[in-house]
Amino acid sequence: MSSTWHLEEDVLDRYVGGIAPPALAASVEAHVVGCATCRERLVPAVEPPRLDRVWEEVLERVDAPAPGPVERLLLRLGVRDDTARLLAATPSLRGAWFLSLLAVLGLALLSAHATDRGVVVFLALAPLLPVAGVAMSYSPLTDPVHELATAAPYSSLRLLVVRSAAVLTATVLLAGAAAMLLPGASWLAVAWLLPALALTAGTLALSTWFEPLHSALGLATLWLAVTAPAFAPGSDPLLVVRSGAQLVCLAVLVVALGTVAVRRDAFSLSRGRSV
Amino acid sequence: MSAVRAQGLVKAYGRKRALDGLSLTAGTGVTGLLGPNGAGKTTLLRTVATVLAPDEGQLRLLGRDTSDPKERVEIRRRLGYLPQEPGFHRSFSTFEMVDYVAVLKEQTERRARHDEVRRVLELVGLQDVSSKKVRALSGGMRRRLGLAQALLGEPELLVLDEPTAGLDPEQRMRFRDLMSRAGEDRAVLLSTHQTEDVAALCSSVVVVDRGRTLFTGTVPSLVAVAAGRVWVDEVRDASALAGWRLGSGLFHHVGNPPSGAQLVDATLEDAYLLLLGGQPAPVAA
Repeated sequence: MSSTWHLEEDVLDRYVGGIAPPALAASVEAHVVGCATCRERLVPAVEPPRLDRVWEEVLERVDAPAPGPVERLLLRLGVRDDTARLLAATPSLRGAWFLSLLAVLGLALLSAHATDRGVVVFLALAPLLPVAGVAMSYSPLTDPVHELATAAPYSSLRLLVVRSAAVLTATVLLAGAAAMLLPGASWLAVAWLLPALALTAGTLALSTWFEPLHSALGLATLWLAVTAPAFAPGSDPLLVVRSGAQLVCLAVLVVALGTVAVRRDAFSLSRGRSV
Repeated sequence: MSAVRAQGLVKAYGRKRALDGLSLTAGTGVTGLLGPNGAGKTTLLRTVATVLAPDEGQLRLLGRDTSDPKERVEIRRRLGYLPQEPGFHRSFSTFEMVDYVAVLKEQTERRARHDEVRRVLELVGLQDVSSKKVRALSGGMRRRLGLAQALLGEPELLVLDEPTAGLDPEQRMRFRDLMSRAGEDRAVLLSTHQTEDVAALCSSVVVVDRGRTLFTGTVPSLVAVAAGRVWVDEVRDASALAGWRLGSGLFHHVGNPPSGAQLVDATLEDAYLLLLGGQPAPVAA
């Protein structure tokens, strides 16, 4: 196909220089598709670096992967794309994890409604959910890229904080929603929150010495031992969430966060054998 | 300045000393680390990759001290590391996986990062599977994925733990080409079981056993260890340190040759066997 008219020199120059307005650029492009003469005039005039940039732009549009569901949600919430990518790899931000979370919360709610002391089950289990989620998000046993992440310059503490914050938020929202459905006094819906934060921070602090999952397991066992007496008939079922216990949790939280701050360099090294 | 300068490294796991006073220097070029299983190669490479801190000894990388947290970050910015068994997020695509490591390597600008990811994927020949899930890749492809992430950002020091393990001959050639290119202007430290790999591409070689350095030098100087100590015979010589029947029917021996033996040129493998044979656990004849 040939054309009866050709691009004016000055139009061509403006297009090549990248200063043609969009409408003009579009008509130049429409014309050169059908006009071999103008194509031959145009091609040598364009600087190769600019061609490369355009090609890379095309590649980027075509080739860059579409982000998964977790990443899309994070991006919509305004999280930066590099942070979203780091979070997308968190094992405890995946569908399977949320399903098991819902199952545990559902069972705990059922028992709370079924019996008098059933609420203890909820109060004992709910604080452990973020603990498990946070420990899973950075343990070498559950993060397959832990070794590479350790050798990378990205701050391990920052990665830990970013992931812990995301896991905490997601878990606390879910457990919080479930807690609204608890029978009894309305303050119970938030009573488990401070124990949850204290246990999570405690796990982080212990992880500066021990394997994160082991730290979580140790603290969980301790917590269950502390809550166990509440199951006994005649005892106060809400002992572990009364104001005295809340104060203890607050103290633990402060000490644990301080420990993490002081010992933060421990996160930047691996503890031993590869897994 | 040597890229790697290790002095008296000790790393113990319980009572076992994986590194037992190991010293090593490596500069520009490809340095091959040879040694039997359990010799401490992986512990050494994890230490050089700044993942493990040694219990004792000094390790300076690229002129910086690994025991200082700030300098360690500086080193990590210029380091590429391929672990022996690199883990991947299997639900990520090939592109996403390398992109993930690029983020960990502080490449925050999205476009530049994606360009870099495409560059390393092309270097290892994985550009056509960039949208494939990691779990769908073959073993050889995953090795190449491991190398691709190590090459991100053109690191000045490359630490590769058995990069050629599990590769077919053609893929090995390709890896050798990539690693020798990398070694032209920076330091590459790699471990391997393949003496052919070392002979083919390493400018210097380090033999380790039981957490210590047995030999450091060039490939020819290691081969020279076995000069005059390799011979062939029509029958098996039980006094040899190591020996095997060749395809030709002759027996190849390494050790102290009897007088009048028919000496042949030594290879790197012969020298390696001799070095290790000097230890209490001899290689079976």
